[in-house]
Amino acid sequence: MAEPMPDLPETTLDAPLLPDGLARIATQGTPCPTPVFRQSHLHRLADRWTHLLFLACTLLVVLLIGGILYFLAARGAGAFFPLAGNTDKVVTFREVFLSTNWDPGDGHFGIVPFIAGTLAVTGLALLVAAPTGVLTGVFIAKVAPPWMRNVMRQVMDLLVGIPSVVYGIFGLTIILPMVGHAWLADAPAAGFAVSAAILAVMIVPTVVSLSTDAFESLPSSLDEGSQALGSTRWQAIWRVLIPAARPRLLTATVLGLGRAIGEAMAVQMVIGNNPQWMLLMRQATDQTPVLRFLFTPAATLTTELVQELPNTASGSTWNNVLFAMGLLLYLMTMLLILATRRLGRQEHA
Amino acid sequence: MLSPQTPETKPVKLSVRNLDFRYGEKKVLDGLSMDIHAERVTAIIGPSGCGKSTFLKCFNRIHEVSSAVQVSGQMAMDGVDIYRGGIDQVDLRRRVGMVFQKPNPFPKSIYENVAFGPRLFGVRDRATLDGLVEDALRKSALWDEVKDRLKESATGMSGGQQQRLCIARALAVNPEVLLMDEPCSALDPIATAKIEDLIGELKENLTIVIVTHNMQQAARVSDYTAFFWLGKLIEMDLTERIFTTPRERMTEDYITGRFG
Amino acid sequence: MTSRVPAFKVRATARVADRAMHLALWLIALTFVAVLIGFVGGILKEGWSELNLGFLTRMPEALDAGGGIKPELFNSLYLVALSLALAMPIGLGAGIYMAEYAGQGRALRFFRLCVETLAATPSIVLALFGMILLVQMLGWSFSIRSGAVTLALLNIPVITRVTEESLRGVPRELLEASYGLGATKLQTILKVALPYAATGILTGVVLTAGRAFGESAILVFTAGTNVSQHFPDFRLSVPGETLSVHLWYVTSDGTLPDATQIAAGTAAVMILVLLALNLLVRLLDRAIRRRTR
Repeated sequence: MAEPMPDLPETTLDAPLLPDGLARIATQGTPCPTPVFRQSHLHRLADRWTHLLFLACTLLVVLLIGGILYFLAARGAGAFFPLAGNTDKVVTFREVFLSTNWDPGDGHFGIVPFIAGTLAVTGLALLVAAPTGVLTGVFIAKVAPPWMRNVMRQVMDLLVGIPSVVYGIFGLTIILPMVGHAWLADAPAAGFAVSAAILAVMIVPTVVSLSTDAFESLPSSLDEGSQALGSTRWQAIWRVLIPAARPRLLTATVLGLGRAIGEAMAVQMVIGNNPQWMLLMRQATDQTPVLRFLFTPAATLTTELVQELPNTASGSTWNNVLFAMGLLLYLMTMLLILATRRLGRQEHA
Repeated sequence: MLSPQTPETKPVKLSVRNLDFRYGEKKVLDGLSMDIHAERVTAIIGPSGCGKSTFLKCFNRIHEVSSAVQVSGQMAMDGVDIYRGGIDQVDLRRRVGMVFQKPNPFPKSIYENVAFGPRLFGVRDRATLDGLVEDALRKSALWDEVKDRLKESATGMSGGQQQRLCIARALAVNPEVLLMDEPCSALDPIATAKIEDLIGELKENLTIVIVTHNMQQAARVSDYTAFFWLGKLIEMDLTERIFTTPRERMTEDYITGRFG
Repeated sequence: MTSRVPAFKVRATARVADRAMHLALWLIALTFVAVLIGFVGGILKEGWSELNLGFLTRMPEALDAGGGIKPELFNSLYLVALSLALAMPIGLGAGIYMAEYAGQGRALRFFRLCVETLAATPSIVLALFGMILLVQMLGWSFSIRSGAVTLALLNIPVITRVTEESLRGVPRELLEASYGLGATKLQTILKVALPYAATGILTGVVLTAGRAFGESAILVFTAGTNVSQHFPDFRLSVPGETLSVHLWYVTSDGTLPDATQIAAGTAAVMILVLLALNLLVRLLDRAIRRRTR
């Protein structure tokens, strides 16, 4: 509300409207010595040109995206085409992308085990992280009392801040022995189960924070509208809030998936690094297929890169195939980002 | 409209005794008492911030969804205290429907909005649902406008249609009481007139309590009017008497526009 | 008008489901709390006995037991500082451009897509890029400078995003007041908008520092798994194994007899550093909230 205006003294039109004292001085004919301020030439020039500097920084980001793509593609292509600097034999796309036989020493470069490994471990992690993450988001946004809300925010901040090698060492020294002792007669428990569990904890903060935002951005009138009709709180969440937040919840899951696919070190430390895992699974018969799948030492795109890149000679077919795997990884995450764009548009439609 | 000459024949549906309402440290409602008769329209008027919306929300305890509040005193429906321990809030809200200030259709189709309530209570049969949806839409005078586009999204309707859809949605679960929290404040005059007509038809078998900041609206639609000021009930009487011969000076001042 | 609507009853299953889900939500949340406590507790418990001044101030051993982590600790901090110094101007510049100059159209959407893509790029992919371009093509080999530049790629998108968001949070009236006094756009950005957004940006920078501190995949392939024999060695051309890389290397290499203990101690040191950073973020956050209140 505006304050009522104080009564102004009567002034004539040409007398300057100044506080009392100044007005009198001005009318007495002594000019007020106010200099005329102007922007210096330098400031104007700076203003005109600095945005180019800022633009350059932005373009650098764009350039980096292209640069990464170019260099990975250039090296990865060396596996398939006899490019300059390529010292080794070339392989066909068929041999690489459709074969499960990875035996570089013998000239076999089938990367299906790694692609399957990545899909398996991220799929399992998502199976745990997506529902629990979304539900934790609901919990934080709609159910938890304020103090618990703060506790959960801090828990998620800390979980996301823990480095992947620390997750890895925890899995290696604490979880693997524990799980092996409990279920596998003290055999090592390396494989998809433990990797996925650790990965799930690593990506859950991403899913939680984005789904909390999604639920908080819904107007409370939806929640109230549903409960005013006699729905229970859970019915309101399940039938109104989750459907209304769906595009953003999917985005949260996709971004979590992106993090999971790219994670290297933690998984590498607990998965067992066995490129022949598909073969091993087919041959072994000592356990049920599910247990075998969960606890056979395996490998993924990222773990194989970490494991083998330092041991291969630059320019060899083996090395080039590894770069092709890196390129594949990059393209997969780009695809996921584009998918989140799609979902974003769906939300606004 | 009920006039001072005819005696009240309807029973008391809702009765309030010494109701206090605290939100944290702040006392929002202070010692309210009133009776609300079945199948009548009771309007609550008063300047903004007087606690009239808060009072309305006490009847279905909806404010307990999002915040911690303290209520003391008695509030009874059909003689049963709705704040007594053991009262099921969810069932209470099924019996006491609510229409909000801003239309709040769910981001679903028109059909799904109305069918939402019956589905909550386990109605799955398609034909039954179709019947309930049509019935509710007819009662809210929306059927003819939307019968050909029931599958379209409710968020694409006009504001007035959305609000009538919200009324239909509330009617579909067959409430005994309908609370309306300034239902026309976001609507244009034509849409407002439609809703007011609707209120007149609905009171045939519903108890309606409506909060409004618009005194003409209270005069047009209600049988009883209660005037609130700073969390207190100043006066409640037949609407006709409130607007012609109020007992309190303050009521007269407010109604004649001298403050508020 | 007779009503065809039946008298509905709240179903018992709905009530039970409501109770059950309420309980389940609490259980899930408490599970995460327990996971965190078990995790941090487990790491600290394993590493507690290793934490002493000697461990922090001895040089590492290549083959024998009893090595320390002095140079790794130094390299971690040095690399974080260098990578931030490289990433800050670029991230700030790009963030300023996107918030203040890029408008609202296609260009902005494209730039945002690029920043998001870079932010989502797996660190192992950044590692490969750094390895090809810096380590091999430019001949920088495994060194502090290769590591710092590649690590900066990890930081840039985060700083860009937090700068853009913080600048967009500056109240419009403040900017208009500045323009109203005749300030140029640049002056307004530098003297009004940036100072207002500074705490927010700083929070982002501290978070970025934490991420860079814990990063390992990038550094294994760019800064290497060795340390200089001199201490402190500020040269940019020497290899610079960090704490996180050390942690990974001693466990996967397996030549040290006390690899497990060293890894446990290193992990505990890292957790402590990160807890301290987290506390700093919390303080900054509180400062922001106090101002907006």
